[in-house]
Amino acid sequence: MSITYLEAIREAQAKLLRDDERVFIYGQDVGGTFGGAFKATKGLAKEFPGRVLNTPISEDSMVGTAIGAAINGMRPIVEMQFADFSSTALNQILNNAGTHYWRTNISVPITVRLPSGGTKGSGPFHSQSMESIYAHYPGLIVMTPATVEDAYTMLIEAVAIDDPVIYCEHKYLYYHLKADNLPAEGLPTGRARIAREGRDLSIVTYSAMLHEALAVAEQLVNEGFEIEVVDLRSVKPLDTNTVLASVARTGRLLCVGESFPWGGATAEIIARVTAEGFHLLDAAPQRLNAKDTPIPYHPNLWSAHRPNANEIARKARALLRE
Amino acid sequence: MPQVPIIMPQLGESIAEATIVDIKVKPGDEVVPDQEIIDVETNKAVMGVTTPCKGKIDKITVQIKETYPVGAVLGYVEASEEDAARFKKTVPEPPKGTVAMEIPGREEQAAVAARQKDGEGARRIGGLPVPATAKGAGFLSPRVRARMTELQLINADLAGIPPTGSGNRITIKDLENFLHKIEDQTAQEASAIRAGVADAMRRSWTRPLSTIGSSVNLDPVLQDRQSRDPKPGPGLYALRALALALAENPAAAAKLIGNRVVQSSSIDVGIAVEAEDGIMVPVIRAADKTSLVDLTTKYKELVDLARQRRISPDMQAGGIATVSNFGTFGMEWAPQFRCQTKRCCSGSASARKFRPGIKKKNNLFPGLKPRSH
Amino acid sequence: MLETATRRKKSARSKAAPHERFLEAFRWMLLTRTLEEKLVSLYRGGLITGGVYIGKGQEAVSVACGLFLQKGDIFAPLIRDQPGRSAFGEPLLDVTRTYLGSRQGPMRGRDGNIHRGRPRDNQLAMISHLGAMVSVTVGALMAKRFRGEKNFVGLSCIGEGGMQTGAFHEGMNIAAVEQVPLVVVATNNHYAYSTPNDREFACHDLVDRAIGYGFEGYTVDGIDLTNCLDVIGGAVKRARAGRPPQLVVASILRLSGHGEHDDASYVTDEIKREPFARDCLKVAEQTIVDLNLADTEALAEWRRDAAAQVDQAISAAQKEAAPEGDKEDWCAISTRDLVDSLE
Repeated sequence: MSITYLEAIREAQAKLLRDDERVFIYGQDVGGTFGGAFKATKGLAKEFPGRVLNTPISEDSMVGTAIGAAINGMRPIVEMQFADFSSTALNQILNNAGTHYWRTNISVPITVRLPSGGTKGSGPFHSQSMESIYAHYPGLIVMTPATVEDAYTMLIEAVAIDDPVIYCEHKYLYYHLKADNLPAEGLPTGRARIAREGRDLSIVTYSAMLHEALAVAEQLVNEGFEIEVVDLRSVKPLDTNTVLASVARTGRLLCVGESFPWGGATAEIIARVTAEGFHLLDAAPQRLNAKDTPIPYHPNLWSAHRPNANEIARKARALLRE
Repeated sequence: MPQVPIIMPQLGESIAEATIVDIKVKPGDEVVPDQEIIDVETNKAVMGVTTPCKGKIDKITVQIKETYPVGAVLGYVEASEEDAARFKKTVPEPPKGTVAMEIPGREEQAAVAARQKDGEGARRIGGLPVPATAKGAGFLSPRVRARMTELQLINADLAGIPPTGSGNRITIKDLENFLHKIEDQTAQEASAIRAGVADAMRRSWTRPLSTIGSSVNLDPVLQDRQSRDPKPGPGLYALRALALALAENPAAAAKLIGNRVVQSSSIDVGIAVEAEDGIMVPVIRAADKTSLVDLTTKYKELVDLARQRRISPDMQAGGIATVSNFGTFGMEWAPQFRCQTKRCCSGSASARKFRPGIKKKNNLFPGLKPRSH
Repeated sequence: MLETATRRKKSARSKAAPHERFLEAFRWMLLTRTLEEKLVSLYRGGLITGGVYIGKGQEAVSVACGLFLQKGDIFAPLIRDQPGRSAFGEPLLDVTRTYLGSRQGPMRGRDGNIHRGRPRDNQLAMISHLGAMVSVTVGALMAKRFRGEKNFVGLSCIGEGGMQTGAFHEGMNIAAVEQVPLVVVATNNHYAYSTPNDREFACHDLVDRAIGYGFEGYTVDGIDLTNCLDVIGGAVKRARAGRPPQLVVASILRLSGHGEHDDASYVTDEIKREPFARDCLKVAEQTIVDLNLADTEALAEWRRDAAAQVDQAISAAQKEAAPEGDKEDWCAISTRDLVDSLE
């Protein structure tokens, strides 16, 4: 029996709807027999009538409604059809949900699912990774699961958390990533995972880039290097301690992320390691992100735009030679 | 009766000041709370400033057509104790610092002065020359340095480690490999003195080293010595002579830095003095200008200080040459080693009686005219 | 002789004769007008930091909003809704504490002026982005429905300026799609800051939009307190009975600046002569006098009472300590072990 990353998300939602009557799912095309643009809610509207609701194309009011419901005791999950479209809900997410607890002492337990990241031919408005934007504003938790198991346990945890959670699920992993079964429990959010132990260099990354990094690590074994790979799992909170421990072991740091290069998760990690772990560094820390342009459509351009195994390997080799 | 200030209110988000357009009261007027007494104009509107409380206008400190910043005091109302107490706490602080500087009419002189000072961009304090390129820039990483500190290693300890890093730098791996290798080699703990001496000797590997010996007839020295009280040791004669020689030929004690030979500005010579647990080498400053008589006094002081272990590192720093008398240990010959700062050493060996019949020049040192000391 | 807010609330719920309801509404208007005048004065005296926004001219519409809501209803007031807030149960001290920077205010210094609320008491705390609160009200009503509650209503206030935002549009639409018991009370006070109606919208009458959303639409004379009580009271009653969402549009003139930093010198003399430019408080008082609903002695007594309540709320707040930066808990989420450790 094998289960895909997407199926894990669906299973998690089914479990949530089953176990917690406060949960409902709100988004475009999620209801009826359609079950969502990526089938993340297939069958759920039927199994849980009245709790998986189609919305108009109104991201602002989808989130606004979720906020109102959450303040009044519900645990809504908002499915954005693409992360890219959440920008029209930015105000409700950042300025309403993100500030509410700080201003009124009442927390807002909403979960916003963002299908993120590029797939071949998806183009500028169906490929974005927005975790850096959401992590930047106060008041939000930002999850970036990279494995089937984490996709499952972290979504369940997201709904249980009393604060707004931005759950960045990666579209490329939906059908490409499979696991044998789903765990009952996982690492808590806020803890990074050592995906591969190493000695010569730490690659710190998250989401789909984890798998590129692991491929690079395998490749570099043949060149006599053992690369340690750290999966952050959430970019906010960011597990600085695990990252520092890894750099303590290897002395060299390469951060890889799929979002745009200016600022963002990779810059944040490097800032922290440089400030708190300067004495652990044997070489200047490096980062690799997508290019500073909108995401191109053509597959050739797309694969050059985002970090990939070859790019990562090149950067890693340079850093190992430093 | 206490006075309650009338304050220029915050009239809008980006408003920093307002102009007085009308003053409706004069000192002595009775006023009630919230009475509009002054009209002010911003770029957005004309507003009325109201009295903070009931009372009598004590004074108005502003003028029509003048501009004042938000928070400025516009005047005072003489009020009851009770009213005054209420407002004590809530009167906002006038703006301080850089905000105040930017508001014309407030600390204007200082603001203008500050602007002018900053404007003099040409005159920069400090400012380092900038290397043209990054070529050759290398480093010992923070990690390597942290490890060195932990193990009490210094840069010289790293000499000879094969570097694998870019720009031939020693990486943490290089260091750890090296340390791992020497673990198998026999080692002993070195005492502080032994380590210091060994370190100095090690450093001398990197310095130009040339050892010259010359036999000298000491009869004139011994003769001269007899006529003196107190008697200077032979080493002091050597020191004085060396100092004079260096004053005439400063290149001998110059330092090679890059491709330049840099001369010292002062002939400072160290003299080795025996202390309880080793040798100290305090430095006599401007030895060429110090007479033999003064040298003798100085030397005696230093011997006493050395016995009391009161020769500080400062006293031993900065010499360009040293003199040591190993002859007192019965040695005939010894190459000298240099510490980082000392460039020239002179040692005197034990004397031997010459066989009579061999003619020797009656000079202490060849090429030097005898001087009176 | 200070009446408490609670005592007066109770009389609102009883089957009051129309003129009793009228007088009760009038007293709220008088109280809040007195409060806001005092706030303006404090502002001009330099004792309030940040903006002051009052609802002078909007009192009749606003009090009607608050008066008919019950405990359990959701109220989303906006900028110029003090009478509604007070009638709904907000204590004066909440207002003065927030404006005067007491750390004991409902927002604890973290937000100010009219951005205050008590979500647990169903008074939503607005954000500055106008129109955003409509969908939040919708969500709150959906939550109640999910839980099987009955006979509840939501009331969301907006101005004609805020009605032009995308967020408002989405909120209206989703309210109608979800068929929640929502009343949106829109007050056209003829100026959005300095912008007059002809640069705000082009439709003939804003109430015409109701049908476009699937709402029922009603017009109310914002100057006429009786009309406000009838129309808005009626809308709330209909909502409680389960009718589709309703839009009530009132017409008044904003009788103050956009905020107290603004002298509204752009308001034209012609518009000030319009019938909707009259002061609803004065009109209501005239009605009382004309119909002999109360004598001059009572009116004076009410004025004194309002002033006393306001003074007490202000002096109490003035005595309280302000928040201190180095004593703050700088934490934006409630889940403490998920706080990102930044130095």
